[in-house]
Amino acid sequence: MKFLRSVTDIFGYSPFEPLRQHAEICGRAVGLLQKQFHAYRRGNFAEVERLREEIDELEHEADKIKTEIRSHVTRSLMLSVDRNDLLNFLKVQDDIINYCEHVGHMLTFRIVKTAPEDIWDEFDILLAKIMETVNEYEEMVDHITRLLATSFSRKEINAALEHVSEIEEMEHECDMIQIGLHRKLFNSKDMNPIDVHLMVEWVVHLGEIANNTARAADRFRTMILGK
Amino acid sequence: MLIEIFAIILGLYMAWNIGANDAANSMATSYGSGALTLKQIIFVAAILEFCGATIAGHRVTSTIAKGIVPIELLDPHLVSLGALSALLSAGFWITLATYYGLPISTSHSIVGAMLGFGLAAVSQNYLSIEDIKWGVLTKIVLSWIISPIAGGLLAFLIFTLIRFALLERYDVYRVERVFRYLQVLTACYVAFAHGSNDVANATGPIAAALGFLGRETPIWVLALGGLGIAVGVATWGYRVIETVGKNITELTFTRGFSAEFATATTVLSASMLGMPISTTHTLVGSVVGVGLAGGLASIDLRVIRKIIMSWIVTVPVAAGLAIALYTVMVIFV
Repeated sequence: MKFLRSVTDIFGYSPFEPLRQHAEICGRAVGLLQKQFHAYRRGNFAEVERLREEIDELEHEADKIKTEIRSHVTRSLMLSVDRNDLLNFLKVQDDIINYCEHVGHMLTFRIVKTAPEDIWDEFDILLAKIMETVNEYEEMVDHITRLLATSFSRKEINAALEHVSEIEEMEHECDMIQIGLHRKLFNSKDMNPIDVHLMVEWVVHLGEIANNTARAADRFRTMILGK
Repeated sequence: MLIEIFAIILGLYMAWNIGANDAANSMATSYGSGALTLKQIIFVAAILEFCGATIAGHRVTSTIAKGIVPIELLDPHLVSLGALSALLSAGFWITLATYYGLPISTSHSIVGAMLGFGLAAVSQNYLSIEDIKWGVLTKIVLSWIISPIAGGLLAFLIFTLIRFALLERYDVYRVERVFRYLQVLTACYVAFAHGSNDVANATGPIAAALGFLGRETPIWVLALGGLGIAVGVATWGYRVIETVGKNITELTFTRGFSAEFATATTVLSASMLGMPISTTHTLVGSVVGVGLAGGLASIDLRVIRKIIMSWIVTVPVAAGLAIALYTVMVIFV
């Protein structure tokens, strides 16, 4: 028997720790994607397939967190940030892992045999840059704990926002690498056109991971400045 | 004599229930934030609830005993029956509501029940309708509306001050560490204030039943009530503290301090004014105040609707039950 009159109901569902976990999962997915590319380059296609599955699982896990947050953050909650800002932010953050999943699948479509080494090297550089961007992003989202603890003090807001400009800068660098890769791919002489086509798709979708990371950072800024 | 003994036993049950649920609820913020351990809270709560009840419990006790129904105009035997029926109906309603986990207030219940006794006396022509102290009743109802708002406002101000004077300037974890100790003090403050106000829900009817008409309520009645609350905390309150404490980990020391200080100040002021208010509702108001000041990640405002519903339901139900019980008892006892 309960026999309890309690005041706990006043403390509502807090979406911030799940949000942080969701960001962490995005970071892990990008890490796996990088591994997947390395496995592909080595020709270990069993490993590529296994990593695709692992990324799929992470995406599923992230989806569950997203659904949990969306179903709990109701209008009756008084949150320390604007509800719509928060849901907008979550949606874009979720796109980071969605694009990881897309690319993960694209690596299993076909075995590219005609790509020269320098193109593979460029992919390594692009993936390293994306990883760096997402790591920076995770650090930014980690600030949420301190932001809440200090009730969004000016100092903490500024500390968190420094990451946003860093991320935007890195995203720009990713763009530059992508442009270079596109040029190389479209001008390659010995590559099979289907291989070129697939690799161009990879580049475009990898770019979306960086784009969405920067967009999510921007939404994060809107969210924490909103109050 | 039997009626008086029954009234004391039921009054003690009220006190026990208040200690088990309301005292525990108000103190659980200190457990949730980790300022005190469970044992420490029970110790602090038992002693300070008792002190609050005996030192500052007389004004509200007097309001409940003779502030609503002019018991000096009635035959002492009828008053004893009335107080007993009020305790029975409030006790029954509180037990039922607690079983279903409704956030009702013991203060509202006993005020409604005493009003019911008065109205039943009116219906039997022992009193006229004008004899019921409607002015006091209006003040009491106003105090129910004002107290959560006052708690909220005060908590808002205190937390805003902490936020701009401390959290903006110093390291948040150092600030929190200091408030860990301050929160021990506010927890004591809450226990004292709670004892001074809520003890009356038990001792008011007891005082009326024992026929302390023109005189002050004797200290032993207040002490008895205080003891009942202390026993309630120790025998059942710890479960409530554990359950509540586990669910409010978000309430850090600075937030807990703000909410507790605001609650205790509001409740103690009400005690000084002789107004029987709900500590729990005041605490809820204070927590919302901290939330409005940007201190909490998430507050569920649905509770406010629940509390308003419990106001609307509690008074008529307690009054209705008291009317029925009193009418039956006057005929048969």
